[in-house]
Amino acid sequence: MNTAIEVRGLSYHYPPKGRLALDNLSFSVAADECVAVLGPNGAGKSTLLLHLNGLLPERPPAVPQIWVGGEPLTADNLDRIRQQVGLLFQDPDDQLISATVAEDVAFGPQQFGLDGPVLESLVEHSLQLAGLPGFQDREPHRLSHGEKRRVCLAGVLACKPTVLVLDEPTSDLDPRGRRDFKRLLQSLPGAKIIATHDLELVVDLCSRVLILDQGRLVAQGATVPLLSDEGLMLAHGLEKPHSLLHRHPHG
Amino acid sequence: MHRLSPRIKIAATFLLVAVTMGFPRHPDALYWLPALVLLVLWPLARMPLGFALRRLLMAEFFILGIAILTLLAPESTPVLLSAIIKSNLCVLAMLLLIWTTPFHEILGELRRWRFPAVMLTTLALMYRYLPVLAEESARMQRARASRTFQRKRGFVWKNLSGIIGRLFIRSADRAERIYLAMCARGWR
Repeated sequence: MNTAIEVRGLSYHYPPKGRLALDNLSFSVAADECVAVLGPNGAGKSTLLLHLNGLLPERPPAVPQIWVGGEPLTADNLDRIRQQVGLLFQDPDDQLISATVAEDVAFGPQQFGLDGPVLESLVEHSLQLAGLPGFQDREPHRLSHGEKRRVCLAGVLACKPTVLVLDEPTSDLDPRGRRDFKRLLQSLPGAKIIATHDLELVVDLCSRVLILDQGRLVAQGATVPLLSDEGLMLAHGLEKPHSLLHRHPHG
Repeated sequence: MHRLSPRIKIAATFLLVAVTMGFPRHPDALYWLPALVLLVLWPLARMPLGFALRRLLMAEFFILGIAILTLLAPESTPVLLSAIIKSNLCVLAMLLLIWTTPFHEILGELRRWRFPAVMLTTLALMYRYLPVLAEESARMQRARASRTFQRKRGFVWKNLSGIIGRLFIRSADRAERIYLAMCARGWR
C-alpha cells in the first residue's frame, strides 16, 4: 500500500500555552483512499487539516510528525509539501482572492514558477475538471456559492496535488449543489481527507473514518460499521446517519 | 469607448489628470479644456448620470476635507475653488475610465507597466473584498434591525458604532484566514 499521508504522535497547543487542540494523533491514509475526519465542533478537525498543509504549527518542528508521500514535513520542504497537499477552505470567500476566476486559479501555479501558455492551458484544464469551462473572465464575487466552491477546487487542482484535504466541502450548499459537488469529488483521483458534519456524504464517498473528540483520535475504522455504532456516535456528539438506520453494519 | 484598448484609456486618463493638476492654482479659463474633453467623452462612453453622481458624492467628502485645508493659507478662496474644481474633474476622468474598462483589465495593464506589485495586490484585494464586506455589514444590520424596537437617534448611532466595531474585528479574522489560504497555495 502506497501511503499518501502519515501522521505520528501529532500534538498541538494554541499559543501561548493555550488549550490542547490535538493530542498525540497517529494515523495514515493510503494513496487512493478517501477518509473522513468527524467530530463535534471544537474537536480539532480544522486544526488537523491546517497541520497537513504545513500551515500549523507556526514553525515546523525539528522532529517531523507528518510525512507526505514518504517525505517528512520540515521547514526546508514546506513549499513542496504545500503543492502536494491541496487544502480547500470552509469559506470560499477566504480562498478566492483575485479579480477574475482565471487569475485566482493561476495563483498557486504562479507561486511555483509557471507562466505563459503553459499556465493558461493549466487554468483551462483545471476549470474543466471542476466543471466550470469558460469561467475564466468571471468575477468571483458574482458567482453562486456552489460555483465559488468549484473555483476554489479548480485553484487547488491547478497545483496538481497528490492529496486533497477538504474542510466542510458541502456546508452552505443546496441539495443540488451538494449532489453535484459530491459527484465531482467522486470523479477525482488520489487520496482525499474530508472534515465534515455531512455524514451522508461520508457514507457515499469515504471508505474509512477517523473520529476526533477534544483533540484525541477516539476511534477509526471502516465507514459503515463505525457510523452504525450508535453508542459511539452519540458519545462523541454525532448521530447515526439516516441512510444507515435500517442497514446491517456488515452489509 | 468600451472596446478601446485599456492601455490607451489608462494613458489618456493619466494624461488628463496630470495636465489638470498642472493648471494654475486659481480658477482659470484653461479649466475648460479638461471639462470639454470630459463633456465630449461622456456621451461616447454612455456613462449614466446616476452612476457618476453617486460616486462623485462619495468622493466629495474627501475632496472638501482636503480643500478646506487650503483656507489656512492667505488669499485662500481662489485656491479652495481651484482645488474643488480640479479634483472633481480628475475624479470624473477616473469614473469614465472605470465605467468603460473592467477592473481586471486595468490591473493587468498596470501590471504590464510594472507598477509596484504590493500596490496592485492591495488594489486587487480591495476590489475583491469590498462586496464581501458590504454583504457582511448588510447581514449584521439586518440582524440588528430584527431585534431593534426603538427609533431613538442615540440608540441608532450606538447600534451603528457596534456594527462598525464588529465589522472591523470580523475583517481582521477574515484577513488572517485569507493569509492562511494564500500560504496554502504556496504564497510566501
